[in-house]
Amino acid sequence: MDIKYFAKLARIKLTSGEEKKFSNDLGEVLGHFKQLQEIDTNGVPPMAGGTELRNVFREDEPRQSRLERTGIEQFPEAESDFLKVPKVFE
Amino acid sequence: MDLTSSTIKSLHQGLKEKQFSAAEVTEAYLKEIKKRDKDLGAYLAIDRDGALSTAQRVDEIIARGGPIGQLAGIPLAIKDNILIEGRPATAGSKILKDYTAAYDATVVEKLKQENAVLLGKTNLDEFAMGSSTENSGYKITKNPHDLSRVPGGSSGGSAVAVAANMAAGALGSDTGGSIRQPAGFCGVVGLKPTYGAVSRYGLVALASSLDQIGPLTKTVEDAAILFGAIAGHDKNDSTSVLGASYEGLFEPRLEDLRKLTIGIPEEYFVEGLDNEVAESINEVQKSLEGAGFKFKKISLPHTKYALSVYYIILPAEASTNLARYDGIRYGTRGGASNLMNLYEENRGEGFGPEVKRRIILGTFVLSAGYYDAYYSKAQRVRTLVKQDFEEAFKSVDVILAPTAPTPAFKIGEKTTNPLEMYLSDALTLPVNLAGLPGVSVPVKGREDKLPIGFQLIGKPFCEADILGVGRVYEGL
Repeated sequence: MDIKYFAKLARIKLTSGEEKKFSNDLGEVLGHFKQLQEIDTNGVPPMAGGTELRNVFREDEPRQSRLERTGIEQFPEAESDFLKVPKVFE
Repeated sequence: MDLTSSTIKSLHQGLKEKQFSAAEVTEAYLKEIKKRDKDLGAYLAIDRDGALSTAQRVDEIIARGGPIGQLAGIPLAIKDNILIEGRPATAGSKILKDYTAAYDATVVEKLKQENAVLLGKTNLDEFAMGSSTENSGYKITKNPHDLSRVPGGSSGGSAVAVAANMAAGALGSDTGGSIRQPAGFCGVVGLKPTYGAVSRYGLVALASSLDQIGPLTKTVEDAAILFGAIAGHDKNDSTSVLGASYEGLFEPRLEDLRKLTIGIPEEYFVEGLDNEVAESINEVQKSLEGAGFKFKKISLPHTKYALSVYYIILPAEASTNLARYDGIRYGTRGGASNLMNLYEENRGEGFGPEVKRRIILGTFVLSAGYYDAYYSKAQRVRTLVKQDFEEAFKSVDVILAPTAPTPAFKIGEKTTNPLEMYLSDALTLPVNLAGLPGVSVPVKGREDKLPIGFQLIGKPFCEADILGVGRVYEGL
């Protein structure tokens, strides 16, 4: 596994020590996963969720959120009622 | 009556009969925490004032002659990945160090309505990723039966709180064994309910197709009480199921229970299973046979693949769920020069090694070139694992198996080798893949030895069956 590439995709900065350690660890784990290739899964449907539930609907009614203030208070940077985020476009 | 070693059931009885007050009960537990938790490290935060004020409210209701529910005035501990409004919720991660929950999880709301006393938040592996509570970003929790050993995980704090009489019961979460395995290691009862039985609204998400909240308690009967209080449909969790009923949950009907056939899966008794564990399960089987249960050998042929399936699906879902911790919404921003650096630095510093390892693994198995070979393949084999159980449940009603391959291992024993650590979940995680209920019950007669747990696995929404069989065993 190209650990640097996937760490970049995952938006995680690794130290060089971590790169080496994770590369070894995950190499071993991926080796274990090879056993799955021995099973014939032709025609077996994928199990995507934990239940057989189909779509669940409810009325889309507007309601007052209790969380508006706490949401703003929890945010790392805010000014009056606005949330501040870093510059997206250079 | 020693208050802190009591069951929920007997505390409730005592409160009702005014043998002691709710305030006395809460004080007794707070005292026990003060005395023991510096050595054990079960709790991350204690809410002394909140706990005492709830207890006082319960005492007022009792003084007025009002009726009280089974959990009123009962001191409980809550795993720190479950939100309590206005209280910290770290999920064991430094990245949520300064986070205060903005709302109550549905399970917490239900416990508050019952006037349960919430003592505090318990330690866990970071974002519930781990099997020993050694991956917490804050501290290591120790097994009360042997301080040099792990309590199991990820709900290690909750299991220790109950085992060491620092709570009468607790909530944990179970994605691959995180309630049952620590319950087994610490000698308490731990129930992972059917997928969809309990709302996860307000649970910090790990792997959404696997996560369930459930109780850890001293007895099977207490687990039924706590489960009954938190189960039910919730419009805030679209995976919670409408109209499930649990007949016989509180008052098991023995004559019906004894008609149940219990299956023994041969694949759970293979290489890697500790001899003492195997012998213990044998003894449990003999006891239950003596009580009139019929046993049958069954096969769950895809068991050996479940670990691989789980450790593909879990990291995939976790890598997606944890994308929200990006340094924008939570935590501190730092002085990064641009947006990409800000993401990478915050996540690099805020997450511990196991979380980083699993996010990267999840990113890998979901990536364009590897999706089919890993993620899609794992989803298909997951179907086969589930079908194994469906096939088995045509001829048996309940399955008996060990909870973990070994008793509690030493602190530090498996931290350097992730694969070895993952193997300690091998016997619990198939149950999550299949969405079934499972309860770990302590093997009896091990007072001077390390606890061993056995697992009873049931059909979907048949919690009453597995808890019923567990209660029969407890009463033998």
